[in-house]
Amino acid sequence: MVANVVKKAFYRFYLFQPGLRIWHWIQFLAILVLFITGLYIGDPFFIGSIGWEANDAYAHVLSMDLIRLIHFAAGYILLFAFLYRIFLMFTKKSHFSLLIPKFWKPWFWKGIIEVLLFYAFIKKSHLPLIRNPLARIAYVFVLLLIFFEIWTGFAMYGLSDPSGFWAKFVSNWTLAFFGSEYELHFWHHVVAWVIAIFVIVHVYMVFFNDFIAKEGELSSMTAGVKYFPEGHLPEDCDDVASQKECKKLREQS
Amino acid sequence: MGKTYWETFKEAGISRREFLKFATYITGLMGLAPSMVPKVVHALETKERIPVIWLHGLECTGCTESFIRSNAPYASDLLLNLITLEYDETLTAASGILYEESGKMVRAGLVGHLDKVVEEYKDRYILIYEGGVPLGNDGKYCIVAGRSYKEDVIELAHHAMALIAMGTCSSWGGIQAAKPNPTESVDVTKLVKKPVIRVPGCPPIPEVITGTILHIALFGIPPVDDQGRPKQFFGNRIHDTCYRRPFFNAGQFVEKPDDEAAKKGWCLYKIGCRGPTTYASCGNLRWFGGISYPIQSGAPCIGCADKNFWDKDPFFERLKGVVTSKSWCGRRRNHRCPCRPRYCGRH
Repeated sequence: MVANVVKKAFYRFYLFQPGLRIWHWIQFLAILVLFITGLYIGDPFFIGSIGWEANDAYAHVLSMDLIRLIHFAAGYILLFAFLYRIFLMFTKKSHFSLLIPKFWKPWFWKGIIEVLLFYAFIKKSHLPLIRNPLARIAYVFVLLLIFFEIWTGFAMYGLSDPSGFWAKFVSNWTLAFFGSEYELHFWHHVVAWVIAIFVIVHVYMVFFNDFIAKEGELSSMTAGVKYFPEGHLPEDCDDVASQKECKKLREQS
Repeated sequence: MGKTYWETFKEAGISRREFLKFATYITGLMGLAPSMVPKVVHALETKERIPVIWLHGLECTGCTESFIRSNAPYASDLLLNLITLEYDETLTAASGILYEESGKMVRAGLVGHLDKVVEEYKDRYILIYEGGVPLGNDGKYCIVAGRSYKEDVIELAHHAMALIAMGTCSSWGGIQAAKPNPTESVDVTKLVKKPVIRVPGCPPIPEVITGTILHIALFGIPPVDDQGRPKQFFGNRIHDTCYRRPFFNAGQFVEKPDDEAAKKGWCLYKIGCRGPTTYASCGNLRWFGGISYPIQSGAPCIGCADKNFWDKDPFFERLKGVVTSKSWCGRRRNHRCPCRPRYCGRH
């Protein structure tokens, strides 16, 4: 058993169990595949099957059919990864509580301003936080977006089999909710791009935090731990450790 | 109790054999399994002919034009034998105040035909709406025989057995509801509290119109989806029933409406075909006895059975305002586009 906090010259916070880290990278791969194949499905920008009869093209070249199959397979992986993430919320405290934007805490509002100034290179550092308020908002937001993509995606997918499971339980009311499937296609596209933009910002922010703040932002999703120098006990310590532990550490420092 | 279908057929001198053939035919038309034939025969023998009131609102009467071209059964069969079309502004020979007016005639001691029909067939008639309802200016944009269509829509619905919204105008609002919608047209479901069966399409396929009416006449309300469309006709995407689907699956697309690929009959997905988002029977039934349908004629589907299709322009682009690879390789830089060397410079 790995201790939640190890006190040496630094605090070592064990944030993520291997399951969550594997989930993160599986989801990353699934989204990557979904985005690339989705671009082709949305607007087929190359025609790979010239010279083939339509019926023979399936087996021989990279056809729309194969790309859609990959898209759907990756979609199922994303769906089950999402369900697994919900299960993970019950396995460790930090899996759940780090996701919550704690707007009722004073450090949340102070953190927003300080982190913004820190990102704009105006301040050298910000108050120590395991996960800063901006990241909390962004992660909840992106999980909702991923859920939206799964929902609209399977709603569209289900209607190719009008009496199947997805059509019965998801597609019909979704279609009535959006008005028509055209809107469904439209928003599925738009949200895919929002997720793509998130990925760019996310990667930049992770490397920024890893290099500038030196708190092990990158290692939190590979080794699962984050480090804080002694005396800089994070304000949201009790999202990872127990309140008793945090209180003890706070008194010591 | 009026005459049953079988009695009407007998009177018209139609043999039992012809009658059974007809029953088998309409079973298939309504999208029912062959095992349902005895039930259809039974319904035809026991159900009385159903009275229909057909109202016209803000529209082009294209749905009626489509309806009278129905092939199976012929619209004349349906009109004269299968249903009692009691009131219809465009199809009846009779006209004038005795036929149309109601309120004024009552005051004068006479009863207009429409009132008489409603009185006689209370809670038994099918009410078919054709056309959107203008709400602007208190409904004055659509007045038939001195009454606003808006009033008719609400009043006649009270005693109707079933309500059918025929065509896109009454189902979703129609072309006149396109932005900025000066007449404030809406679909009939906004005014009527009862469930309305939607038969969208601009116009709907004739066989879909007759099939829906027949289904109600023989078996009552057909199974509908969450938007009130009969499942047997609007359960499938055009895309999933399209005969050009193999070209889509193979990734063989028309790039512009008159190129080589268009002549070969490849998929029209890239020039904005709305088949993948539209629910209708065009791919199955096709039009006018299976002659053709828009995609077969080489034109991309514009999704006329779809909600708000009129505002989803441009019709010849797939999704409006969405960033796709086309935006990366814009038209100006198309000659340098690495993605589609074969098609560069053709735009």
